[in-house]
Amino acid sequence: MNLLMSDRPLPGIQMKEADRYIDLSRLKIRNCVGCFGCWVKTPGKCVIRDDAVTVYPLIAYSSRVIYVTRLYCGCYDLPMKIMLERAIPVQQAFIRLYHGQTHHIQREVKPKDAIIIAYGDAVPKEEQELFRRLVARNAHNMLFQSWRVIFAKEAELFSVVYREVCAWDA
Amino acid sequence: MGRMMIVNASPRAPRSNSKRIIERFQAYWAEAAGLYPTISNKHEQALADLQGCSDLLLVFPLYADSPPSTLLGFLKALSAASISPKPAVHVIINCGFIEPEQNLVALDIIRFFCRQNGFPFGSTLSIGSGEAILDTPFSFLVWRKLKKFAAAVRNRQPVHLQTAMPIPKKWFIAASTNYWIQYGQKNGIDKQQMQTMEIEGGVLPPKQ
Repeated sequence: MNLLMSDRPLPGIQMKEADRYIDLSRLKIRNCVGCFGCWVKTPGKCVIRDDAVTVYPLIAYSSRVIYVTRLYCGCYDLPMKIMLERAIPVQQAFIRLYHGQTHHIQREVKPKDAIIIAYGDAVPKEEQELFRRLVARNAHNMLFQSWRVIFAKEAELFSVVYREVCAWDA
Repeated sequence: MGRMMIVNASPRAPRSNSKRIIERFQAYWAEAAGLYPTISNKHEQALADLQGCSDLLLVFPLYADSPPSTLLGFLKALSAASISPKPAVHVIINCGFIEPEQNLVALDIIRFFCRQNGFPFGSTLSIGSGEAILDTPFSFLVWRKLKKFAAAVRNRQPVHLQTAMPIPKKWFIAASTNYWIQYGQKNGIDKQQMQTMEIEGGVLPPKQ
């Protein structure tokens, strides 16, 4: 399965039947409260039963993902960041050595090829580099076997996303 | 010494490690300091209280390799506010992994924010093994660095410190495994249940 997850609507985007498109701007997703319930009370399930519980299984079961996010200070902007924080039920509390560092053990999470499309106008090189470093760190904790970061101006965003979605089928 | 505001940006502020770290910092700081937990979501009041402060201390855990969204929300409000003079921003960050260097990107995100918005960037303390270290005999390592950090902030001589449990990674993994097993047991959940591979019962959500 492939997953396209965007923090803004992408009207008219075409997906294959088996693939999923999530528009986070249409969902109600609260902040993670750091209760660890998904690790020590209801393992694999978040105790906050809002729209996030319909999203993180898709993240886990996808072998290819495209995340579309506005950039904020070299980080994901809030809608995407909140969703990624709410995705920790896909991990166990337990720690393992992975690529020489300590990281959480994953549950049934497919290794994935990830494309992160970060948009914003006049993004400084320094901010781009910072975001690349963040995604490289995420790769260890989100099981990206490959990843690519694309920076796009807001006006050209749809065409960039469309090109990458089409490339899934190529 | 000027006025300080301390921001607890942990999503679980009232029962967070950040709170315990702040309490110890305040003992070393030995001056009154305003305290604002971002989860109360009263940014406007907090920013009014920040007027006239010389120092802003951000204390938070690492979330998805970066500052938690509760802190990003506060930073957005801070960048939109007219704060004068702009306080020096100091950071204490803790992560549950043993390597404090896993916090570096998050620190650089705050550093970038400061540069973009004209806030002087001050001292940093990066703590690894944060979920457990405060309840081990190694907690003194955190308190020692925290004391040094407080002195550096007071003397306006920025330092960039880090600390973690001085044990092999395999020992850390064994210790953290025991820690989480005990945490689960308090909720009537055993290790095997915590190790389930199923996410939301293994059921794929329907299409929206």
